[in-house]
Amino acid sequence: MAGSDDIALLAKDMSLAFDTGAVLEDFSLEVSAGQKILMTGPSGCGKSTLLKCFLGLAVPKSGSIAVSGQPLTPATVWSLRTRIAYVMQEPDLGRGTVRQIVERPFHYHANAHLLHSVERLNELIDLFGLGIDLLDKNVSKLSGGEKQRIALIVAIMLDRPILLLDEPTSALDAQSRKTLSRYLQSRTDLTALVVTHDTDCFTFADNIVNLKAHVAGEAK
Amino acid sequence: MNIKDIAAWQLASAYLLLILPLAVILWYRVPILGRTALAVLRMTAQLVFVGLYLQVIFELNNLWLNLAWLSVMVLVADVSVARSCGLRLTRIALPLFAALLLGTAAPMLIFTGLILRCESVMDAQYAIPIGGMILGNCLRADIVGIRTFYNSIRTSEKSFHNSLAQGALLQEAVRPFITEACESALAPAVATMATIGLVSLPGMMTGVILGGASPFTAIKYQIAIMIAIFSGTSVTVALGIRLTMRSAFDHYGLLKESIFKDSGN
Repeated sequence: MAGSDDIALLAKDMSLAFDTGAVLEDFSLEVSAGQKILMTGPSGCGKSTLLKCFLGLAVPKSGSIAVSGQPLTPATVWSLRTRIAYVMQEPDLGRGTVRQIVERPFHYHANAHLLHSVERLNELIDLFGLGIDLLDKNVSKLSGGEKQRIALIVAIMLDRPILLLDEPTSALDAQSRKTLSRYLQSRTDLTALVVTHDTDCFTFADNIVNLKAHVAGEAK
Repeated sequence: MNIKDIAAWQLASAYLLLILPLAVILWYRVPILGRTALAVLRMTAQLVFVGLYLQVIFELNNLWLNLAWLSVMVLVADVSVARSCGLRLTRIALPLFAALLLGTAAPMLIFTGLILRCESVMDAQYAIPIGGMILGNCLRADIVGIRTFYNSIRTSEKSFHNSLAQGALLQEAVRPFITEACESALAPAVATMATIGLVSLPGMMTGVILGGASPFTAIKYQIAIMIAIFSGTSVTVALGIRLTMRSAFDHYGLLKESIFKDSGN
């Protein structure tokens, strides 16, 4: 078993209840630093909520969560969020031009030291097959795939040690899927927990966790 | 005072004017006849009561009584804003009261103390109507601003969560929503300032002219009150949002669903 310093993400005896009536019970998960873990399971079983729990964006009914060896509490959540980059399913990027959306997080106090990352923007835009002219477009005009790629680019630029991805390939074309896959594979230092139905895209994953066994109730 | 008084029978003749809206309502069968009758009755009763009460307050001109009257006005505005925003009164009544009180008192005191140079900044003749005008306008703007703020975060939860996940402090994550709320709340006041005098003669100016003052004195009052209203509006909206936030968000920076009246909690 890895030491607590090596454990990037830890969920212990966690229980979650959902509007659908489904319940995730006694779920535990340990993700060591550098591991790439895929999470699968039926719709509505709580995969997305589980990712949110690691960010303190959802609070479990019971159980405990730790990030980088530190328990997630109201006192630690603000600093622990700065260890995680998160790409949500069908991201809502807010309002403004793509450039404003991409640059916004680097004006937050916690990310001020990362302002230099914005210099990587053109390179990443190119890597994910987007044109530079997209930066001046309003985000409301973007397609689902473009939004997803922009969210991935911001997550990469934030340069966190832990990456949480929620169905990151759902709106991506084959080339972008390949790019994401290669990127994750090349970053051996990066811990990634990926909720996906597209396990073929991440053949290099260290483990696949199926939540089905932990779900009681109406999940499909 | 140069203003002509209205005798009771003369005022009664004003009610004859109601024939016109009643005719419209009846002819087109607009389903508000009962509500209209009730509203006219309430308006009459409320204004008669306020008139009598203010008469006493103006005659006594007592500092504590004036403060108490202004506090009651703020309290009524407080309840009205919370209800109209769809928020639970028990959660936001106190911080909202503080925001309304501060936001109304500051421009009112500057108006009576600095602009009018009243002997007493709480002189009933000036403090109560000016405070009332500022508060009345703040009320409308606060309903728009505070409702926009909380509803936007509720409907754009994903975008708000995305900001928190990207490392934003709560103050940073809510900033775009405060900007949007302030814009919605202040835009009507800005539009009013831009067109005032062209589209209609404003209330205070009309009152001062009817009171016998020259139009030039009237516009000076109007300019000062417009600025005081705009200041009060901006302060109460911004402060109202900031102060109510303390009870509306949890320690993780998440908006508490229980703050909404329709949450069912």
